[in-house]
Amino acid sequence: MESKPSNSLSSLIDQQVFPGDVVLDLSKMANQTIKLGSGLRQEGDAISVMKAGKLRFAKPNKYWVESSHKRYVPCAGDTVLGIVVDSKADNFLVDIKSPTIAFLPVLAFEGGTRRNIPKFEVGTLLYARVVKANTGMNPELACMDASGKAAEFGPLKDGYMFESSTGLSRMLLNSPTCPLLETLGKKLAFEIAVGLNGRVWVNATSPSIIILVANSIMKSESLSPVQQKIMVDNLLQRVQ
Amino acid sequence: MEQRLANAWRMTVNEKKFIETALLSDLRIDGRRPFDYRNLTIRFGREDGSSEVQLGQTHVMGFVTSQLVQPYRDRPNEGTLAIYTELSPMADPSFEAGRPAESAVELGRIIDRGLRESRAVDTESLCVVAGKWVWSLRIDLHILDNGGNLVDAANIAALASLLTFRRPECTLGGEDGQEVIIHAPEAREALPLTVHHLPIAITFAFIGDENTVVIDPSHFEEAVMGGRMTATLNANGDICAVQKAGGEGVIQSVIMQCLRIASVKAVDITRKIEDAVKSNNTERALRKIKRHPPSAVVDVIKAGQKGADNLLEENMEKPKQEIEDTIVSQSDDMDIETRSSNQNESKPRIDKNTSFIGGPSSWDPYSKGVNVDELKASLASRVAALPSEKMDTAPPVEPRVTVTDPPLTSTNAAPSSEENTGAGQQTNKEKTLKDAVKPKHKRKKKT
Amino acid sequence: MEYVSPEGLRLDGRRPMETRQLRAEIGVVSRADGSAVFEMGNTKVIAAVYGPREVQNRSQQINDKALVLCEYSIANFSTGDRMRKPKGDRLSMEISLVIRQTMEECILTHLMPRSQIDIFVQVLQADGGTRSACINAATLALADAGIPMCDLVTSCSAGYLNSTPLLDLNYVEDSAGGPDVIVGILPNLDKVTLLQMDAELQMDTFENVMQLAIEGCKAVANYLREILLEHTKKLESCRGV
Repeated sequence: MESKPSNSLSSLIDQQVFPGDVVLDLSKMANQTIKLGSGLRQEGDAISVMKAGKLRFAKPNKYWVESSHKRYVPCAGDTVLGIVVDSKADNFLVDIKSPTIAFLPVLAFEGGTRRNIPKFEVGTLLYARVVKANTGMNPELACMDASGKAAEFGPLKDGYMFESSTGLSRMLLNSPTCPLLETLGKKLAFEIAVGLNGRVWVNATSPSIIILVANSIMKSESLSPVQQKIMVDNLLQRVQ
Repeated sequence: MEQRLANAWRMTVNEKKFIETALLSDLRIDGRRPFDYRNLTIRFGREDGSSEVQLGQTHVMGFVTSQLVQPYRDRPNEGTLAIYTELSPMADPSFEAGRPAESAVELGRIIDRGLRESRAVDTESLCVVAGKWVWSLRIDLHILDNGGNLVDAANIAALASLLTFRRPECTLGGEDGQEVIIHAPEAREALPLTVHHLPIAITFAFIGDENTVVIDPSHFEEAVMGGRMTATLNANGDICAVQKAGGEGVIQSVIMQCLRIASVKAVDITRKIEDAVKSNNTERALRKIKRHPPSAVVDVIKAGQKGADNLLEENMEKPKQEIEDTIVSQSDDMDIETRSSNQNESKPRIDKNTSFIGGPSSWDPYSKGVNVDELKASLASRVAALPSEKMDTAPPVEPRVTVTDPPLTSTNAAPSSEENTGAGQQTNKEKTLKDAVKPKHKRKKKT
Repeated sequence: MEYVSPEGLRLDGRRPMETRQLRAEIGVVSRADGSAVFEMGNTKVIAAVYGPREVQNRSQQINDKALVLCEYSIANFSTGDRMRKPKGDRLSMEISLVIRQTMEECILTHLMPRSQIDIFVQVLQADGGTRSACINAATLALADAGIPMCDLVTSCSAGYLNSTPLLDLNYVEDSAGGPDVIVGILPNLDKVTLLQMDAELQMDTFENVMQLAIEGCKAVANYLREILLEHTKKLESCRGV
């Protein structure tokens, strides 16, 4: 169950933290295993912060710091949008805005065997999942979920992709749905795929809808939920 | 090899197809129409001849410097003009440090041809001693951010810096009359360059089918385009240069159509540049005014005193009341300046000092044109009165006074006799004016 | 100075709409895969093509197209005064870029992925119109090397002096300070691929001058076709066909 390791920690969850802040003191906690996500590191008995952002906690024992940047630090389990750069014998080289290029094994598709290796040309957009992301190694991707089903992963056809920051992508993937997408969805019909690495793909029947959705998402970077709703309403009114 | 792959910026197949499909219905990915330019902002630095241009996301800075050199042998009475471009890797991940890439050279040459061949800058006026000394102008263009269409933005930066550049005045002297003496800008007013016309570069991109032409491509569109054409024209409709270096073939009628559209856009952009330069010149004139000694101030102030009271509530924007208003403003600095600073948040002011010293300069009256004599008189009077404000020591006023003081002292410290006499005169005036002005000050503050 | 006499003759006795005498020769550099010499009056240019061959600089390799590189240099002795720096200066770099992009347009690069085509152009005698001569020579050299092209590229220059449009300027007319329009076209497709202009011109005058240059290009194209036809016939007869 959720335990309160130390007074300082419970007050820091969902708070802004800065590099150097000590968020956990292991000596004060009983025998517990804690999972450290991105932005935290262990220095002897103290867990300190590496990146400026918000400290988050998920049951049962995972802590991480959430921040928004233009480059992506790969984390296992994330869904990302990658661009195929090259294909080798065993892997596709896929660019996911991480420090090193990611590998996508040619067999990592549903029902993938040596006989039906997919052919991706350079520049294909893929929706994939990060399987392994250890420091110093190239991250590994897969186009199927943990149980081996295809589940929407794979190449994305048509549409338009643009880049955003990682924070914006996370906001778009919020549940409940962020007000921006909700308001847009009420009036327009479109398809959207969001990668946690700061890439967003939009598809709709007419180019004007795509351009409208793309530009409104790009503009909502620094707006609060209420402001987003207002901006979208204005845009839609102007168009219709 | 993998590292290099990870660093480059890529385009997906989807984007390329989408840009082309959207263009079929006359839509561009940033919402513009095919022949719309992005937002253009032109700002100037503190030095003469430095400009900063922002065209959408593209950011370019231009600097003009001059030097006396020996002329070319085949052109003994003409000055020279050289353009250097600096495409730093900061602007775009694909630029490399070191040797200029081909695109950098092409950029420099297009702007160079537009300015030189069309004789936009009068090089003969740059001659000092025919055959021996001429002015050599050097335009440095630094690309800070590559958002597409560097040529147009860099060209505007070059033109803006040329228009605001002032070269030092020089005279012939010395024993044999052959020595050239360059005068410091404080001693003699620096001269502007003679620019006959402004050649504006307009870039078109041919995307997909030859019939799709867009103006001012962003860097996404540049990555997708099949060919590009840059036309340099001036506002009179003369074509100064055309550059279409290979790339997709187009039929002749499309080229003529592009040129016609370009001539319309050129007029637009010329006007924007001229407006920006004009407002910058007004600002600089105000900055310069400080240096001149206040003359004939006493009469003006006496005349103004009578009307000062009545004019408190009147609208400050009436040019006729400039003089009286400035005197009023000395006492009502607080109110007036806060009002004017609110008015002018949208106006780009690089030099913070002007918004304080040139308190009147942040008012609208000066945008209608500057009457230099009135300005001199009004500013001189407030310069004289400012030290007297210090003595009143109303707390809110002090912070402002401390800010205004350093610039005053810096200009006063300039090593020229004129400045010193100016300062002396100011202190003299202080004594004469204090009595006249001080009671008014106190009264205004109470109300 | 009068560049067009009242009778309508230019300084070298041509009419305003005449090109200079054209002369071309194919297969002059034995080591190159394709080569040609092209003369327009006194301007003489030699072009050599190597390729398609392995990309020398792996990092520049393009996966789905051939890489086209071009180097333009002026011989020291080509102009009146001895030139100091034949290549590497900004003018040469720009002209190299221009020629490369023009030739790239006509070469079917997608048929030769991951390979490299080198075009070397050297000006032996410069008497105006060097850029056009280089492009014409490069076209012949590419045809000699058998590189697949969608069309020939031909180029010609034109100017406007004494209120007359003049075709194919020589050095004296070029340095008169009047406008100088260089056009490169794909003659069969009738498309303009290269267009460069210097100095000032009014819009309608520009249209006339450009039209004249295009006509000149078409005349050069006819000549190039003749030359290529002759050369092919010669090759056939050599092989005893």
